[in-house]
Amino acid sequence: MTPDTAPPNEHPDIEIDLGSEQATVDPALFEEVPAEPPFARTVHTTPLHIVTSAESRTNRWTDWNGYTVPEVLTDLGDEYRALRGAAALADHSPLVKYRIFGRDALDYLQRLVTRDLAALEVDTAVHVVFCEGRGLVLGDGLLFRLGEEEYRLVTEETHLAWMMDSGEGFRVGIADVSATLALLSLQGPLSALCLHEAGVANIDGLAPFAARWADIARMPVYVSRTGASGDLGYELWADAEDAPHLWRHLMEKGAPHGLRATGFALRELARLEAGFPRAGKDYLSALAAVASAGASTPFELWRNPLVASGKAVFNGGRALRSLAPVPPRRRLVVLVADALEPVSLSSVLSGTRQVGTVTTSGFSPALGANIAFAMVEDEAADGELALTATLREGLGAREVVLRARILPAPLKP
Amino acid sequence: MERHDAIVIGAGLNGLVAAAYLARAGLSVLVLDRASAQGGIAAEHEVAPGYRLPRFTLGSGGLPPRIAADLDLPRHGLRFIRAEGGVTCFPDGGYHASYRDGIVHRREIARFSRRDADAFTRYRRDMLRAAGGLAPLLAGPAHTPARGIFGGLRARLSLADRIAAIAPGDLRDILRLWTLPASDFLDAYFESDAVKAHLAAAAMMGGTLGPRTPASASRLVFPWLSESGDATGGAPETLMPFGGPAALVQALTSVILASGGRLRMEAEVTDIRIKDRKVQGVVLANGEEIGAGAVLSGLDVKRSFLSLFQWKDLPEGLVERVGRVRMKGVAAKVNMALDAAPVFPGLPEGCPSLGGGLRLAGPIPAMERAWADWRERMPPRDPLIEILMPSFLDPSLAPRGGHVLSALVQYVPEVLHEGPWPVERRDALGDLVMTRLAEVSPGIGKHVVALEVLLPNDVENEIGLTGGDFAYGETTLDQMFANRPFPGMGGAETPLRNFYLCSPSAHPGPLVMGGAGANAASTLLGRLGKAVRA
Repeated sequence: MTPDTAPPNEHPDIEIDLGSEQATVDPALFEEVPAEPPFARTVHTTPLHIVTSAESRTNRWTDWNGYTVPEVLTDLGDEYRALRGAAALADHSPLVKYRIFGRDALDYLQRLVTRDLAALEVDTAVHVVFCEGRGLVLGDGLLFRLGEEEYRLVTEETHLAWMMDSGEGFRVGIADVSATLALLSLQGPLSALCLHEAGVANIDGLAPFAARWADIARMPVYVSRTGASGDLGYELWADAEDAPHLWRHLMEKGAPHGLRATGFALRELARLEAGFPRAGKDYLSALAAVASAGASTPFELWRNPLVASGKAVFNGGRALRSLAPVPPRRRLVVLVADALEPVSLSSVLSGTRQVGTVTTSGFSPALGANIAFAMVEDEAADGELALTATLREGLGAREVVLRARILPAPLKP
Repeated sequence: MERHDAIVIGAGLNGLVAAAYLARAGLSVLVLDRASAQGGIAAEHEVAPGYRLPRFTLGSGGLPPRIAADLDLPRHGLRFIRAEGGVTCFPDGGYHASYRDGIVHRREIARFSRRDADAFTRYRRDMLRAAGGLAPLLAGPAHTPARGIFGGLRARLSLADRIAAIAPGDLRDILRLWTLPASDFLDAYFESDAVKAHLAAAAMMGGTLGPRTPASASRLVFPWLSESGDATGGAPETLMPFGGPAALVQALTSVILASGGRLRMEAEVTDIRIKDRKVQGVVLANGEEIGAGAVLSGLDVKRSFLSLFQWKDLPEGLVERVGRVRMKGVAAKVNMALDAAPVFPGLPEGCPSLGGGLRLAGPIPAMERAWADWRERMPPRDPLIEILMPSFLDPSLAPRGGHVLSALVQYVPEVLHEGPWPVERRDALGDLVMTRLAEVSPGIGKHVVALEVLLPNDVENEIGLTGGDFAYGETTLDQMFANRPFPGMGGAETPLRNFYLCSPSAHPGPLVMGGAGANAASTLLGRLGKAVRA
């Protein structure tokens, strides 16, 4: 409507309902390929930004895969208590999501990932690792079987080039659906209760790694019992346009039970406690590691990586079979260093020799100790370890050495 | 007779770097140049009153931090601008820009192909790996197997060690890089023609190879040589001295003077005095003789040997070998003064990548046709053009509101198949550049205050660079490293005692700015038993 045809005395904006998020969500914020030049926008937001920004009391933001997401919304301690004691809701939309479909989808995925997928049923998910020809890890993620010939792979980084190159000769379609699919992560002991309150019937019947469609406030939502918190938890996969409404609805129904909106810092802490390494942070994809020593094998990263023995051919299979019996040169371990306050950790020592490097660290309230992912030489891993830490007092900095031990199993809260 | 420890012939960039190192080591140094101002091919030039730009080169590129630190150049006023990697404009109106920020650069590639945006991660890894392997070979003097029994042996062993340490897969990557055409190499990573053309256009500039010529893939790695590799970055940056190459020349001159060295302009060396194969000094055009303990030539290898010496004084076979060094002009320079800022409606407003230059290029087949025209010595029909507007980043180079525009026109033959360039062909080349420019910046023709076209032949005539070859000899593997400028003379030392080559005709060639000068100085100081004073 141009101004000269508008009836006088009528506000042209009157038709927009300010109460509806849909009207205020800028579709360009999460477009697949924005029309504007890439340098023009440095802040890219997810479809849930409208609701997470409303929750933010700290205005602390961080960058995750190029998207601006909340680092901490209220207080990390409070958010942690919600996660471990009640339920925590977070926006995990920056994760990369691929739709893999077609007649050869299963054959293709069997070629792509190291574990055997023959037993993967519809509406279940598994953790998968994929490697290049030398058995070096390219990435890991969660693979859902959505239908007979329909899969979804969720990863931390993009792998489109490798996936398409591996798809030669298979009748398979690969589509990056990251932009159209929002991901809400609902984790914590009361997460099932929150879902129940939100109107999902019989949620207790959902087994770990199982998933099903649910109708939440007349929105179709794919609910899976997954998540990287090490605790009871669900992930909700919804259309980008529905996502803010779904968030509001869950918060409304869950808040009386202690549901809190949480940020990226809590996700990092939770996955650290649960022992999930993150691509690009705890290990480098073999295609990104400039120094060849920067790449890792699955045996270095996971305690019992699922490398199929029965599968005939898969990417990196031959190399992995020869690597499997050999103890890895180094291992990614979770270290605990006793200190009453959060410190900044850098290197791992055995005696005075550096035997490893810390990749992620945090302060675990459950342990009351500093906790860190570190890549450590295998020979040294069984001996006494120490971590160098920097303590800041006023303007001064002091290097200290803290005794450290390997966390034998993921923390069970 | 006046006498110095060292005389440097040619006040070009490498000559000045060599002189600065020698002067700082306490030698009495004299730099001689026939021109009235320092700078050689990087010398500053007024294309119209108040409009300043380097006359023969684009003037981008940075000194390696090692040389800048050794010579204390920051204290002498040298600053570098870190610009983005530049934009390529295609004939269909599209463009592809380079960004240092990894996420922004990937989004840029995703405009053409999401798959390629992801493939860039692997491309970047491989480029950084190749650059990391190349950097130590380029950092110091060439490993010349022929020289000094023990030193040569040690160098050979360390090289052998390094080769033995290369994993088989990496060796295959090295082989691919040094043998494949750029087009085939890029096909192994990318599907988008625009992405491939953007990378190839930047790499082909200044070389004598076409994108489909075998071995041209090696040029792809050159822009990555000064990059440091963190895992999430984007495209390599372009370094430029603030104030243009003139500022770099000035800083180097200031170092030389501050360390007691001297410069004499308008002093053309016509002859080198030689006795028992030992160089004794130089003779100037006016007949004046100056004695020297060592003479360093900043001229190209052909000019150094073939025009400064009596051929009968040169060792047997040297004239022939020098004659066989391939130096071919491949680019013409177009300098322009503009009274207003040119606009580029096809580019997004405020595109930061424009500061790193603008290339006008077709897809790879068109680039290859342009190269074929050059090989057949045809006047260019559709050349590759690289444009730099240094006044965008440094407004002091032009009067208020005005701009200077430098363009290198790639694939311009030295001599046409029909003979030397006639005047109308030269005018046609200028018109062609204006037409191509007007396609991306309509109306730019109205703002041209001054325009000059310098063909490879003009470069040779005016500055004395053989063939107008800005690379000082082709940078193909047979003329690189220990084979530069020719097998048997790898590095700065020549078959004549006390005579050194400090131009990019010697290792590491044009790949490391000032590297040849630094190498010549360290070779001479090594001979004299002096350490480089940092």
